[in-house]
Amino acid sequence: MTNTIDTSIYAAVTEAIQGEVRRILSEGSVSAVVGYAAARRKGSAQPIVITDAARAEELVFSAACVNNLAVYLTKAKKEIPKTGKIGIVVKGCDLKALVGLMGESQLKREDLYLIGVPCAGVLASTAQPSQELTGDTIAPKCRECDARLPAGCDFVPDQRPVSIELAGKYSAEIARLEAMTPAERWAYWKEQFKKCIKCYACRQVCPFCFCEQCLCDRNKPQMVETTPRPAGNTAWHIVRAMHLAGRCAGCAECERVCPMDIPLNLLNRKMAKELKELYDYEAGFEVREKGPLAMYDEKDDQSFIK
Amino acid sequence: MQTYLSENNLKTLLDRLIAGGKRVIAPRLDAGTPLYGPLADAAGVVLDQLPRRSAKEAFFPVCEDIMSYDKEGQQVTLTDVNPASFPETVLVGVRPCDAAAIPVLDAVFSWDYKDEFFLERRKKTTIIGLACTQADDACFCTAVGLSPADPKGSDLFLTPVEGGGYACETFTEKGETLVNGNRELFAEPNGAPALPPAEPQTEKFDLKKVKAWLDDHFEDPAWDGIAVRCVGCGACAFLCPACHCFDIVDEGTEKAGKRRKSWDACGFWKFTHHASGHNPRDLQPKRYRNRIMHKFKYYDDKFGQTLCTGCGRCIRFCPVGIDIAAIVSEISKK
Ligand code: SF4
Ligand code: SF4
Ligand code: SF4
Ligand code: SF4
Ligand code: SF4
Repeated sequence: MTNTIDTSIYAAVTEAIQGEVRRILSEGSVSAVVGYAAARRKGSAQPIVITDAARAEELVFSAACVNNLAVYLTKAKKEIPKTGKIGIVVKGCDLKALVGLMGESQLKREDLYLIGVPCAGVLASTAQPSQELTGDTIAPKCRECDARLPAGCDFVPDQRPVSIELAGKYSAEIARLEAMTPAERWAYWKEQFKKCIKCYACRQVCPFCFCEQCLCDRNKPQMVETTPRPAGNTAWHIVRAMHLAGRCAGCAECERVCPMDIPLNLLNRKMAKELKELYDYEAGFEVREKGPLAMYDEKDDQSFIK
Repeated sequence: MQTYLSENNLKTLLDRLIAGGKRVIAPRLDAGTPLYGPLADAAGVVLDQLPRRSAKEAFFPVCEDIMSYDKEGQQVTLTDVNPASFPETVLVGVRPCDAAAIPVLDAVFSWDYKDEFFLERRKKTTIIGLACTQADDACFCTAVGLSPADPKGSDLFLTPVEGGGYACETFTEKGETLVNGNRELFAEPNGAPALPPAEPQTEKFDLKKVKAWLDDHFEDPAWDGIAVRCVGCGACAFLCPACHCFDIVDEGTEKAGKRRKSWDACGFWKFTHHASGHNPRDLQPKRYRNRIMHKFKYYDDKFGQTLCTGCGRCIRFCPVGIDIAAIVSEISKK
């Protein structure tokens, strides 16, 4: 296989994470740690929550550690103990979600112990967990990553910055869509939304989909058609894109988990691009109380008011 | 009855069925994603990839209208969907893990209430199964007592043979009728040995032991550990050939609309949310417990069958890597 990506750093990262977690759990400075553990299938990894220092050796970091663990710290996940300080293993892209959640008063920095991972990339959902990380098997989001070394963490196992040059996929795809006529673009998205089966995996993994009751689940009265049919599907995806605009941290989890291969992150990236152009705003780099869609400024673009 | 069917003749058969007005459902690519769906012609069939969703949708669609209503002044007109209008169908290229789930579903859809939508489609469908020659490490049909060459649920079963084409065996009258109606496409068995079947690596589960543990451990701290990472989506249930929960909703305006039946999943918070506001399965571990209980205990209690055929789809597509085979094998060791 061509263009293998160097992931040799992950072995040292794994060891350092284990040591640090053993330390913080036995010291009692955190009550639980959310990280990754090896799973049954060859090379696979899965999220794990540990509270016992003796289990620190179960923790791993590898190219199969695809999940954004920030979802476990939201109020949507009531199973995770939220008492005391919680440790969490974060890649740079995941950290953006945590930063966003802090801005939305969902989390406090002082309640977190951030274990940041210097990251060479993770596997795409189309790859088998046992595959080697290459230019072909790497997750699309990692191709245009701007956060390989998470900043401002409490512990970073290895400060060596990782640099990889790969051509971006989202930017190219967004440019392709932008070049279409509105009718062509509408046809494209209609085709995509048609495939949706309303399994809501995209919503359930999204750190920002933490509403106690999603508008799309409401039935008293029903706000959006709940059946997986073109009208309700389109409404669902538009509602979601709008609710995530200016908040989505770009972790691409929604797209990774979609069993119907709907390119959801394209919608998010497009919204992010609009916000950058209109408000010079980017989600996920600093804790901010309000995003551009939640406040008014006289300098705001008003050209859309006709 | 044993015969030989060449690849070309299989395609001729499918084209002939389509031309004859039958609906032919087979694995094909839908915008790049392998899914079972109606074929326009035999050229579109894709037999080397396991479809993303199972074959259950040939009987139990993702969403279907079951009634419509119209209101004119005080006059309300209700129109039923007539299952007699469902087309005669041939379902082709069904993997053993998918085919085996269909008779399992018969039990629940013909129990105290007879689901005419499921049963009518079932009656009108002939199933052509296909043996698997490749498995990945998520496949575990052998662990639940099936196999990559198991014809359970198939009316007609194809096994790829050396040199190309299929050894073909009929198991039901429907299968025989199909072969007899197209006799010249089916040759005498040519004696070529079958290609070696796939070999899923998971150790066989002791399903009795699993059930015995479940019988006694509705409450057990192990559930928290098993399910803590579950995010409560419907991906596992929706992709599963055996899961069969559905919701019924009316959609439309005050004047006109439809009653619709669509897939539902016990992983959803809303699934057990009562009108009172109370939710008996308020936390995700309770919901995941239900998934395991339903598959390996409740369905067995009620229908004497296991509600999992080991297709591995829920393992491949769980967003957080929950592995039902690992969980069941862990339970069987308790
Ligand atoms: S986007 Fe960046 S930080 Fe996130 S997994 Fe990919 S390479 Fe790592
Ligand atoms: S919308 Fe998608 S990309 Fe954005 S934060 Fe949620 S899961 Fe991540
Ligand atoms: S994950 Fe995909 S199929 Fe499921 S609800 Fe989201 S977009 Fe639809
Ligand atoms: S429970 Fe999982 S492995 Fe078993 S039949 Fe359903 S999808 Fe396949
Ligand atoms: S087991 Fe996985 S696929 Fe199933 S509901 Fe939980 S997170 Fe979703």
